[in-house]
Formats: sequence, C-alpha cells, structure tokens
Amino acid sequence: MSEEMYAKLTQAVIEGEPEDAELLAKQALEQGLDPLTCVNEGLTKGIQKVGELFASGEYFLPELIIGAEAMKKALAVLEPAMVGDQSREVVGKVVIGTVEGDMHEIGKTLVGTMLIANGFQVYDIGVDKSAAEFVAAVNENDADIVGASALLTTTMLQQKKLIEALEEANLRGKVKVMVGGAPVTNSFATEVGADGYAEDAISAVDLAFRLIDAPA
Amino acid sequence: MTRIEPLQANFDLKVLNKKQLKQVREATLYVLENVGVRFPSDRALDIFQEHGAMVDKDSQIVRLPAEFVLTAMGKAPRSFTLFGRAPDTELLVGGGHSYFATDGCGVETIDFETGDRRLSCKDDVAKMALVADYLSSIAFFWPMVSAQDYGRLAPLHELDAAYNNLVKHVQTETVMGEDLARYAVEIAQVIAGDDDLREKPALSSLICTIAPLCQDKEGIEAAMVFAEAGIPVGFMGMPTMGSTAPAVPGGALTIGNAEAVSAMVLMQLIAPGTPVFQSLLVSGMDPQSAEYLVTLPEKYLCNVAAVQMAHDWGVPALGGTFGLNHAEPATWQLGRDSVYTALMCALAGTDITIGLGMLDASTLLVPEQIIFDDEIYHNHRILARGLDTEMEGIAVDIIENVGPGGHFLSHKHTRSHLRDIWIPELTHPRMEPEDNQNGDIRKRARDKFNQILAEHEPTPLEEAARHEIDTILRNAEADLGR
Ligand code: B12
Repeated sequence: MSEEMYAKLTQAVIEGEPEDAELLAKQALEQGLDPLTCVNEGLTKGIQKVGELFASGEYFLPELIIGAEAMKKALAVLEPAMVGDQSREVVGKVVIGTVEGDMHEIGKTLVGTMLIANGFQVYDIGVDKSAAEFVAAVNENDADIVGASALLTTTMLQQKKLIEALEEANLRGKVKVMVGGAPVTNSFATEVGADGYAEDAISAVDLAFRLIDAPA
Repeated sequence: MTRIEPLQANFDLKVLNKKQLKQVREATLYVLENVGVRFPSDRALDIFQEHGAMVDKDSQIVRLPAEFVLTAMGKAPRSFTLFGRAPDTELLVGGGHSYFATDGCGVETIDFETGDRRLSCKDDVAKMALVADYLSSIAFFWPMVSAQDYGRLAPLHELDAAYNNLVKHVQTETVMGEDLARYAVEIAQVIAGDDDLREKPALSSLICTIAPLCQDKEGIEAAMVFAEAGIPVGFMGMPTMGSTAPAVPGGALTIGNAEAVSAMVLMQLIAPGTPVFQSLLVSGMDPQSAEYLVTLPEKYLCNVAAVQMAHDWGVPALGGTFGLNHAEPATWQLGRDSVYTALMCALAGTDITIGLGMLDASTLLVPEQIIFDDEIYHNHRILARGLDTEMEGIAVDIIENVGPGGHFLSHKHTRSHLRDIWIPELTHPRMEPEDNQNGDIRKRARDKFNQILAEHEPTPLEEAARHEIDTILRNAEADLGR
C-alpha cells in the first residue's frame, strides 16, 4: 500500500503532473503515511530520475521544470506535516536572482532549476532585485549561497554592490556568492570578491557543490 | 571615401497572406485589450490614464482597446528621414530602400592585434565606426560593442566614439533611463548644430521590450525623453519560443507585436507624429541549455512576417539579420544562415536592417567578420534588384550586330556593361602582384579590414563640436558618476 503510494509520487514527478502530485501528497497524509518517507522514497527518487533523463538528452527543459514544479507542490503539502526534528535533506539553500536594473530572466531561472534538480533548495527572487532585496532573502531563508545574474555591462557592477551589502549586513562570512551572466568573467568575479563564477548552468551546479564543500 | 549603396528590393516576399495578417493583428489586439502590457513607469501610466486607457496602477498593467491603438497609430508617420553629420548620408526610411547597419552591442572583442578574446572597450567602437564609415553596405551605425572602460557612462562614450569616426547616422540600443537619454539628446544636438533635432535627427534609438508583455522602466523612460526631443524611436520585441513566449511562432509574433505597438502608442500620446518603427526578433532556445538560438528556419519566417506586421501598423520595419550563433568566421554555416536572415529580410522590404559584423549571437566582435558580411550584403543587393528586361537590358541590337558565331569580347557594349556585373571580391580577388597572393579567404578579409583601418580618413568632427561633446561627457560624469 505505502510502496504503491511512493511509486505514484515518483511517477507524478517524472511525468510532470503538479496537480496529481499535490493530490497524491494529500492522500498519503490521509492514509497516515510518514511525510518524510514520502519525500525520500517518492519525490526525491522522481526528481533524480528526471535529472537523469535530462542529462541523457531525453528530457527537455520544460520536462525538467515541470518535474521540479510537481515536487514543489507535493512538498508544500508534506513539509508542514513533518513532526519533531524531521526535515527534508537538502544539499544547500540558494537564493538566486537577477540584479537591479536587469530584466534578463532565463539564465538565472535555468541555473535555479538545475540546482533544484540536484537537491538544492532554491529561492528564486526574480529579476531587477536590489542588493537589499538579496540580503533580505538571504536572512529570511538562511541561505548558504547567493547566485546573482547580470546580462548587461551596465548592471554587472551591481554584483559588486551586492557583495558590499552582504559585508555590511555581516553575512559575508556565512554565505558564498556566485555570479554569472553573459558579460561576467572569472576575472571580474575575482575582482569584485565573489567566491565563484560559472559560465553555464551545468558548471553552476558543480560550483555550488564546491562552494558548500559537498560531493557532487 | 564615404559611400552608401542601399538595397532596393524588386521583389515582394510575403510569409503571411491577407487572412493570416488579419489573424495576427486580431490576436494582438485581443491581447492588448484583455491581457495588457506592464509599464513599470509612473509617468507612462499617468499618460495612458489621462488619455483614457485602462490602467491598473497596482499591477502597472495597461490595457488598450483596439480603437485606442488604431487611433494612436494613425498618427505615426510611415516614412521619415534620418541624418548623419555630412551631406549624402541622409536616409529616407520608408521610402522604398532598405538601409543596413552594423550589429551591436557586443561585450567581447577578438583583439585587433593579438587575436585574444577580451572584454570590449571604447577604442573598439571607434575603430569599427571608421571601418563602417568606409563600407558602402553600411548606411547607418550601431555602436558594435560596449565601451566597458567607461562603466555606467558606456552608452554615451559609444556615441562619442561613433560620431568622432563616422559621418553616417548613428542609432543607439544601449542608452537607457532618463538621465542618460537627456545627455544623449544633448550630444545629438551638437551634431545637428543650429538645426532643430526634430528636423535633423542625427540620432535614433532602439529600445527592447521585455517578453512576455512587459516594458523596461529604464527603456521606456529613455524612449519618452527621445520622443519629446523628436528623436525617432524603435521598439524591438525579442520573444524566445519556449521561454519568454509560447513555443509556436504565431504566439511569439503576437506577444512581440503587442509589446512593441503598446510602446509606439505611448510615443504617439506623448508627442503625436513622433517617428517610430517596429522590430520583432523571434528566436528559439536550445531545449536543454536554453542557449539563445537565432539560426532556425522558423525564425527566418518570423523575420519576414515581422516586416509585414510593422507595415500593417503603418510604420517602418527594422529587420535583424546576421549576428549568428557561431564564433568562427568563414564557415559554411555562416554562409548558409546569413542568406536566410539578410536576404529574406531584404526581399520582404525591411526599411532599416541591422546586423553586420558580429558573431556568437551578437555578443562577439570579430574584426574581419564585417568584411564577410559586407560581401554577402552586396550579393543580396544585386539579388534583390532583379533583372532588367527592357530593350536596353536585353540588347537585341547587339545580338543582331554580332550575329551567329564569333564573340562579344571586343564589343563596346561589353566594355561598358561588364562592370555592371558584380563579382564577389573575396572569392574572386583581382589579379595581384605575385608576392601578395594569398589563397586564405580569412586572411584576404583581414587584409582588407586592416587596409581600411590604416587608410580611410572620415571627415573629422569639427573641433568645436568635439569640445562640446567632451564637456557633455564630463558633465555627465560629474552628475552620474562612472
Ligand atoms: C533574450 C535577451 C533579452 C530579452 C530578455 C527576455 C527575458 N525575459 O529574459 C530582452 C528582449 C528583454 C532583452 C532586453 C535588453 N537587452 Co538583452 N539579450 C538577450 C540575449 C539575446 C539572450 C539572453 C538569454 O536569455 N540567453 C539564454 C540564457 C540561457 O543564457 P544566459 O542568460 O547567458 O545564462 C547562462 C549563463 O550566462 C549562466 N548564468 C546566467 N546567470 C547566472 C547566474 C549565476 C549565479 C551563475 C553561476 C551563472 C549564470 O548560466 C546560464 C545558463 O547556461 C542576450 C545576448 C546573448 N546571446 O546572451 C542579449 C543581451 C544580453 N542584451 C543586451 C541589451 C543591450 C539589452 C537591452 C539594453 C536592449 C534595449 N535596447 O532595450 C535590454 C535591457 C533590458 C534590461 N533592463 O535588462 C546586450 C547587452 C550588451 C551590453 N552592452 O551589456 C546583449 C548582449 C545583446 C546584444 N548583443 O546587444 N534582452
């Protein structure tokens, strides 16, 4: 019975059915199943499979993103039901967004999605976000990593401002900063004092693992 | 010598038939009235509200009834003139020619001397302006790369480098925000001299809309400053199928169309009769890496449809061509794809067209690329012209004169017409001294580039104008910082 439910949750993530995933999560709780086991045996297996299918070229981005969406919907039901010190195992918490004055959305969304598929908890704060908004999100979510995207030569300097703001808020010791976007380079990243730069989403995931010292 | 050889298409390439054009227009008007477009600018929202559009201040979404759109667009001119800083550089946009320009605004350059890939700088803009001034394919100039050595003021320094090295018209795609726009207007006024900018726009601007269905605050506020100063403003929608637009070309076109026309409507509310133009660059994405893809057949079809859609609103169309997804010049892919973008746009009757000289989806400046694109352009210019079948063009009298057998080599008619047959220079170089021969086409392109750079001398900007621009740049720096 419970095995069957876990398999269904796995399947809902693989097939990318957010509504089904949410419904199944509710049914699982009604049946008295342990929420943490539902996550570990059901959802996590599903998103891992989605990641594999993506890596092998079978799945495209929408399948990856909708798969992550299905997982999120089910988590929203399961996580509040966890008891005691139960909590989902996440590799690390990442706040990601595009800097102030910059509306380029796709790069950072992709990086965020790839991080989710690799077990990170991701808070995507959107585009055109000021340093203060980044700092607030870091505080609120107790993030380990901040990812800042900038696609314009005129907005990349905001990445520096962000790092200064984190220093001012005494968060710099606690949170790692990674930067990216078309005009950003490794040397620019070093110059502004970021902890790392990645040129695409795949290397961004490797970078994130390195930054929090976890095996990829 | 500075020359401009515009393209004039004798064909009328269409992708959408009348019914389809109507379908897209209706879909666009539906979206404008029922979904709306976000204008994150209080000033823009107030203007829309004053004129009776449906404005929701909280969401910043403006919805426009069809009547409202069509009435405003009725005020936009179908043609207008762009000016350079020398005689013979004026362009009657919408007058039947297609004027081509460089591409922009890249962020990296293959160094002119070392060949290393590095960040772009102001000097790159200056050098490319000089070469563009020479090439007859280039009718007006987009600063090709970002003047990154000037930080926040880069867009103004791009203009400075352009005006100092080229007499042709300049169009900016990087001046954003009210502040920079005001300084850009001042610089343009220096170029126009005693003339009213409205009469002699020496600058025009292109602003991107934000798919899906948004405007950029800085972009739209710069546009308002430009419109008030009489500077022509174009709006470019850049919907990407699958990410910022539905994964169907029709949907992408509709989204871009709604964004661009809503902005053009605003310009007509602010300053009725302001010259505006429209551009829609539909793109695709790599389904796994989301890389921005411009070399797709669907995109080429959309390029043509976009021209028809701009003309359907009664405004000139800007086409986006070249600037392809490769980092190496002189490859067969580049040859293939340039034809689809540039030739199809030209045959569809774009009024102005950007794109020569860049690679890697318009992010990388490879110096000799502009020489390759120039040659492709001239191929297209001849192709678009079509054939002459008038008596003179057939030369029946000469056929009769030579008769069966023999040849035309010694005929005076041949002597005077052989030069009309355009022969690609890079693939068929003229005879050269023995020691100067080189079979490598890339080297030939590079040699030509270097020669132009070394020898071409554009008419210099007058001393007084140079100082005035310097002062404006200094004021901008004092006011805004770098
Ligand atoms: C699509 C696009 C737009 C769209 C964006 C739509 C949207 N909703 O996102 C629109 C039309 C809105 C737009 C607007 C503008 N754009 Co634009 N845009 C592009 C374009 C063509 C592709 C960007 C893209 O989506 N790429 C696909 C994604 C997947 O790649 P990516 O963003 O690079 O992200 C990858 C990596 O960089 C990295 N990465 C990204 N973020 C992060 C973050 C972290 C933490 C890490 C580790 C890694 C990482 O990983 C990602 C995945 O692999 C680029 C050119 C190009 N080819 O890059 C120009 C480009 C960036 N834009 C440019 C310009 C000039 C503008 C405008 C100013 C134009 C105008 N006149 O209005 C406006 C500015 C608006 C604003 N305020 O931001 C210039 C910038 C030049 C410069 N000097 O800085 C470019 C280079 C184009 C050009 N050659 O002119 N643009």
